[in-house]
Amino acid sequence: MNNTVHHNSTVIHGSDISFSYDFDGQLSSALTDIDIEIKKGEFVAILGQNGSGKSTLAKHFNALLPVQKGKLTVCGIDAKNQSEIWRLRRLCGMVFQNPDNQFVSSVIEEDVAFGLENYEVDRELIPDMVENALRLVGMSGYEKRSPHSLSGGQKQRVALAGVLALDPDIIVFDEVTAMLDPMGRKEILEEIHRLNKETGKTVVMITHYVEETVNADKVLLLHNGRVAGFGTPREIFTNTELMQRVGLVSPVPVRLFNDLKAEGICLKSCPLTNEELVEEICRLS
Amino acid sequence: MLIGKFVPINSIIHRLDARMKIVSLIFLLVAVISTSTVYGYAAIIMVLTVIIWLSKLSLFAVLSPIRRLWLFFIVIFFMNAFFFSSDNPLFSWWIISFSGEGIRQGIKVVFNVCVVMILGNVLTLSTSPIDMTNALSSLLTPLKLLRVPVEDVAMIINIAIQFVPTILEESNMIRKAQTARGAHFESRKLREKALSFLPLLIPIFISSFRRADELSLAMEARGYRNAKRRTKKAGVPFRVLDVTAVAACFVICIIQIYI
Repeated sequence: MNNTVHHNSTVIHGSDISFSYDFDGQLSSALTDIDIEIKKGEFVAILGQNGSGKSTLAKHFNALLPVQKGKLTVCGIDAKNQSEIWRLRRLCGMVFQNPDNQFVSSVIEEDVAFGLENYEVDRELIPDMVENALRLVGMSGYEKRSPHSLSGGQKQRVALAGVLALDPDIIVFDEVTAMLDPMGRKEILEEIHRLNKETGKTVVMITHYVEETVNADKVLLLHNGRVAGFGTPREIFTNTELMQRVGLVSPVPVRLFNDLKAEGICLKSCPLTNEELVEEICRLS
Repeated sequence: MLIGKFVPINSIIHRLDARMKIVSLIFLLVAVISTSTVYGYAAIIMVLTVIIWLSKLSLFAVLSPIRRLWLFFIVIFFMNAFFFSSDNPLFSWWIISFSGEGIRQGIKVVFNVCVVMILGNVLTLSTSPIDMTNALSSLLTPLKLLRVPVEDVAMIINIAIQFVPTILEESNMIRKAQTARGAHFESRKLREKALSFLPLLIPIFISSFRRADELSLAMEARGYRNAKRRTKKAGVPFRVLDVTAVAACFVICIIQIYI
């Protein structure tokens, strides 16, 4: 199989991707000349304001939207190749924003089994795979419950289990925290990071919350359908001019770092998280 | 709601295979309709009592659809009592003819409808929605010969059932939002009442279509092509209990038809 990828090999490679939506003959450009490269096991955040093209780009990775212009290879599969779409979707799973609109069954174990049944997995193998997926997201014991009885964070974890059951190489999270309360957001974010570290699955996380991306390996900054920046969170967020141009506000520690600098107090390095900030301030005296 | 919501308790009726429950229900319905003697009715009442007793459901829950429809029963009783044409009416005027047979017919119709509703109610109270969907799709299998896409129909029913609580919750929310903006839902006049539901219906309609759109994307992302290309459900074998129950209902049905 040519989709067995080694560490540090590229799993998503796109060049010159452009996409326009067609509203009754009126073309509306959503993506322009996007170049992207994501390596196996990486945690990449795609950040941008509403309407910047984040979700449109994400829907290219598992061929929910066709590549109109440019080239996109995911796990060694050309996304334009219609005959490989189903294999591609199994290798690149996706969790969506609204937890209520992605359940197909009112019993959790049946919902998690949905993807497996679509790939005609042997009936005898399914229960173990479902159990395994639910254990991975810490939802064992909920098999017989209804998704409606769960909190938002738990719903998203079950949706994630449904994707994990198929054992994909890449998981795309399309604004999965947008409809959750702060507790739910924290819960699902920690889950995604843990999953990335423990199973080595490549994670692509779409969000418009800057704070959610500080622990990512890379941040791809989108603005008006174009790549505005691609680099480590530190490289992106400390670039004040860039952040202002795309209309996003840097995380609080970065802003504090800049404000202190303006007052003549220089921290050694720019902190991204509150923990780093505390450490840097303690080091001052 | 006219049909009951599933009550998960452990009873013989709950444990019965859902397919067998539906088949038994059909036999019992035929039995009820073919009944014509007083003894027949007594037997039906006995059977009904035994079924309710075995189901361990509360009498209140089982009879609740009857309680709500009392006016409907009175209307159908009088319709039959007054408009049933008879050779020797007690009293006759214009199209109205009042007769002993008419009254008997009225009682019979009301009785039949009551029994049908109670049996249907016991079925929905004792069967989980999932079991019901699977049973329906399994019983509909012969329709494949007529090119009915049975798997797709089962998937549609399954998803529809699964979205009922979500959409109910949403309609409550929209109702509150519209009330906050001055909409009235409490008018007593029929015309006003009907019109007042428009600000509720339109947003629910729009949001349901959006939900359908998102759900179809999520399903495709998880590899859904069509209902045929999927792992087949396990064929659950019938147990002695199931077969006995259907046989009993079949015998009752035959006896009622020939007596």
